[in-house]
Amino acid sequence: MYVNNGIDNEIRFLAQSEIRMKILSELNKCPDNVKGLVKSTKITYSSVSSNITKLEENNYIKKVDGIYYVDPMAKIYFKTLIDFKKSIEIIKNYNSFWDKHNLKLMSLDSMRNINDLKNCKLIETTPIDIYKTHNTIKKQLVKSKNVKAIFPYLHPEYPKLIEGILKNNGSVELILPKGIVKAILTPIDERLKRDATGRGKLKVYPVRDDLNLYLTLCDDTMSLGLFKNDGSFDQNRILISDDKKSYAWAEDLFKHVKHKVVL
Amino acid sequence: MTSAQTKKELTKEFKDVKYILTSSMRTKLLLAVYDNPKNLDELRNELKKPSATILHGLKELESINLMRKAQKYYELTSNGYLLTANMIKLIDNWYSLSKSEIFWNNHDLSDIPEEIIRNVYLLKNGEYISSTTSDLSIAFNRYIKLISKAKELTILLPIYSENHFKHIIDLLNKGKLKKLELIVSEEIYNSIKKNRLFEKELLENKKVNTTVTDKNFKIFLTYSEEFISLTLFFKDGHYDDSQILIAKDDDAKKWALSIIKLFER
Repeated sequence: MYVNNGIDNEIRFLAQSEIRMKILSELNKCPDNVKGLVKSTKITYSSVSSNITKLEENNYIKKVDGIYYVDPMAKIYFKTLIDFKKSIEIIKNYNSFWDKHNLKLMSLDSMRNINDLKNCKLIETTPIDIYKTHNTIKKQLVKSKNVKAIFPYLHPEYPKLIEGILKNNGSVELILPKGIVKAILTPIDERLKRDATGRGKLKVYPVRDDLNLYLTLCDDTMSLGLFKNDGSFDQNRILISDDKKSYAWAEDLFKHVKHKVVL
Repeated sequence: MTSAQTKKELTKEFKDVKYILTSSMRTKLLLAVYDNPKNLDELRNELKKPSATILHGLKELESINLMRKAQKYYELTSNGYLLTANMIKLIDNWYSLSKSEIFWNNHDLSDIPEEIIRNVYLLKNGEYISSTTSDLSIAFNRYIKLISKAKELTILLPIYSENHFKHIIDLLNKGKLKKLELIVSEEIYNSIKKNRLFEKELLENKKVNTTVTDKNFKIFLTYSEEFISLTLFFKDGHYDDSQILIAKDDDAKKWALSIIKLFER
């Protein structure tokens, strides 16, 4: 279905050769002549020159006055290949985060846009700091004004944290399993809760299905947690970031989950 | 000779991407179990290769934790699923680009951020329609036909075209069109304003919401629930009314929305 042989061969033409990929990535940064390429890539003259010829024959690069330029279309092709390379890096760098974890609630888009998470930090608990993940998120919840979150389980500190945000006139939007809605909301001051709900500052979406994902959006910071394949929540690691791309990525995922599982 | 050190660094940098993409057996196996786990028989039938070859490929993928075997069925691990989703994105990107190379190559893309062009895989089901010398208005007529069925439209409009305006006004007055989001540059806005009829029927129309952008742009993009369409300018600055991209699936709508978002306030 997916494998179109012509494209397969073209991708392979680049992927086969580290030297060609390296030359393209150098020329992509800055057009250059063979001598310059030898210097910047530290590859021998003969290898550079033979691969330059192959790239030119396949219309990836063009020579103008002795300087090689990447063809504008080839640039786009090449960059999508580099995008793929980056997504492999993200999968590998956060290997312990993804490996043997349940991704069923992640949207296809969130997977295809996984490169948006490149500035995330993987926070893992340590034997001397076993609450590191929870405390990292708690720190953000305490100082945030606007919070959107998917809480798949009840942490005894959540009611107080939510109450704190509402008291500061902030807004809270929660996706929760039906079973814990009461436990999270009951301890919060009744008048505060009613008032916030009335003003649209507290929205709670109960979910009947399994909620196999932990996600918070606190002001400018996002965090993501996953369940293990055995069905238990992995309290020992989260991805966290305050850069715009990761935040937008998390926002899209929140919307997706809301759309998909909310009753 | 390239120094051993350089070679080592190069190999390391591109090792994974090379390993995945240079073996058609490995890529085919990943794609084969992307939608559903499969057993050896099913894989053999699908890939038309001997068991030994398939098992060898499966072992390789198992050893780098992309594949696993569970009760005779082979399935992707979570890492394998993430990787394959992105590999399909790469293949679809190349497919979409090669399918429409002339369209992208002929036109000025400077107003489409590179990041959005790199998501061209979303347009893989798009259709590229060109006018011919015997019928110069194929593209335009297709466009008018499409918009005449829409209830709501968002149009990024970089040109002042009476022909377009007349059709749109017709749709607003007599047709199905209930809501039009019009995004234009100041230059185009002022041109519309100078024409009393267009000012009244477009800018002062309750069904029309106009957004004026600070800068000129060279993308003619239309978004609706039913379709999206795109026409562009030649690199010499002239508008090209002879080639249009039309797509109707959700992915294409996502692509178009990502552009519209750049222009919305």
